[in-house]
Amino acid sequence: MEAIKKIFILLGSLDRRIIFLIVGLSVLIPLLKPDWVNLPIRPTPESQIVFDEINKLKEGDKILLSFEYGPSTKPEIHPMAIAILKHLYAKNIQVYGFALWPDGNFMSTEAFSEVSDDYDKIYGIDYVNLGYKPGQEAVIKGIASDIRTLYTVDLQGTPINDIPMMKDVINIEDFDFVFSLSAGFPGTKEWVQYACDPKNIPLSTGCTSIQVTDIMPYVENNQIRGILAGMPGAAEYESLVERELREMGKPGKPGEASGMMAAQSIAHVVIVLFIIFGNISYYITRKKIRKG
Amino acid sequence: MITAEIMGAWLVVLLTLCIFSFLYKDNPFYKAAEHLYVGVSAGYVAVISFWQQIQPNLFGRLWPKLEDTGEVSVLKSVWYSVYEILNFISTGFGTLERSIFPEGGIKGYDEIRLMYLIPFILGIFMLLRLVPKLGWLARWAIAYIVGMAAGLRFYGFLNSDILMQIQSVAIDFTADWGSIINAIILFIGTMTGLIYFFYSTEHKGVVGRLSRIGIYFLMIKFGASFGFAVMGRISLLIGRMNQLKDYSAAEYNYATPIILVFIIISLAIWSFMDGGNKNESTA
Repeated sequence: MEAIKKIFILLGSLDRRIIFLIVGLSVLIPLLKPDWVNLPIRPTPESQIVFDEINKLKEGDKILLSFEYGPSTKPEIHPMAIAILKHLYAKNIQVYGFALWPDGNFMSTEAFSEVSDDYDKIYGIDYVNLGYKPGQEAVIKGIASDIRTLYTVDLQGTPINDIPMMKDVINIEDFDFVFSLSAGFPGTKEWVQYACDPKNIPLSTGCTSIQVTDIMPYVENNQIRGILAGMPGAAEYESLVERELREMGKPGKPGEASGMMAAQSIAHVVIVLFIIFGNISYYITRKKIRKG
Repeated sequence: MITAEIMGAWLVVLLTLCIFSFLYKDNPFYKAAEHLYVGVSAGYVAVISFWQQIQPNLFGRLWPKLEDTGEVSVLKSVWYSVYEILNFISTGFGTLERSIFPEGGIKGYDEIRLMYLIPFILGIFMLLRLVPKLGWLARWAIAYIVGMAAGLRFYGFLNSDILMQIQSVAIDFTADWGSIINAIILFIGTMTGLIYFFYSTEHKGVVGRLSRIGIYFLMIKFGASFGFAVMGRISLLIGRMNQLKDYSAAEYNYATPIILVFIIISLAIWSFMDGGNKNESTA
């Protein structure tokens, strides 16, 4: 018993750099050897709602896809963007890209160029990328009232009046759905507050894990239709889209997030173990000190 | 052959490992990468804000490219001569090519909107903060921003966060048992949580007990937030690790292992020298 106590005390006084190293290895090894850990991905009800809502859209419907993330949160959100675009393109839905973050421009450009060619989509007819405008929530307000007060040209500098798919689009009421790919402010919350609630437009979101608890009350109240929560949400959506595409006879490459879930799960187990060991070590040490 | 892609990969690996080096301790690699990140971010936001908003939406509305009808009124000529003066200044007194103010006006809008002089002037006031004697003028611009933002946010919060969220706390007794129990828990959590933040009464007796329940609900919320925060950070680590793994391949000239060894050796030398310096200073 004493030996076990000593081990726990030793674990509690472990140098933080060793803990960093172990967490790093717990991420790296499953990435290097993905066959060693093969965990099933089961969609949560929230991810299923997002999928069902988008699946309900009909050919020719318009979706506003807002890019509110940058390179720092790319691993969580970008796989969602790719999976959503695949789903939308397979269903022939018109996609209107906006960016509320300056680096959202890079992300939207990368996402569109990664997927559009595989589905033979033509710029200006099937999708458009309007890019970033500074102004945070004021931009959402502008999109809700009149897009042309803010956007005169798209990201490539083409006047929006010359873009065929922009012809009948005046404000948010001309869209059938809004999807926010969000990593913070301005993002999903602002879409709820300034556009989708006042104009009654259905909204779904794919957001970073850290935002989930703040967004959940809107999801529970149906102000947001489902949520893709961080990397697991992205992996779940990828699996749903993959299955749908297979049924449609359009199989594609497997998603990026699914391949990273093994690393995520192992890292979580390691962190949980460290928390448990840390607490046990704390109680043993405290008991010892009290005893004198 | 060294291509732009390979150079980019080496830069990505170098900066990622520079940031990771902070896990050992604060060091010059980390500081350099951090300063570069802040500088590049600020520069990029400034440039993109100017070219995506100020140039097309502000200058474009004040000096739009007008249709060539042949006749130009005196007032318009005077107005566009201001445009030419701004162009003269922005081109370094005629030494650079026109870019911000193209010949004849900016494409996009078809009529002059003088209303936009107000944000233009307020924007200039904001910059006057850099001039100590005229810095007080920046308060006008700040007052406008604060007033506008407060008004805008008030409506959004009132509608989506207060009214609609209060509605969601209502218990629907016609629903199934699971939903009713869920709604009751939500109701208790909301009420007790609010009581905890109610400071007009001392938290004793019934109020104290209810606020105690509120604390438990808050703790569950904080626990969930912490869990999600860990999940998010691990996702970002996975993203970086995945890229480091990709760039360790032969097609990228083994960028990751080479730079990793370089940083470890450099840190070891720096640590040794820094330790020496510390010893000298303590002596």
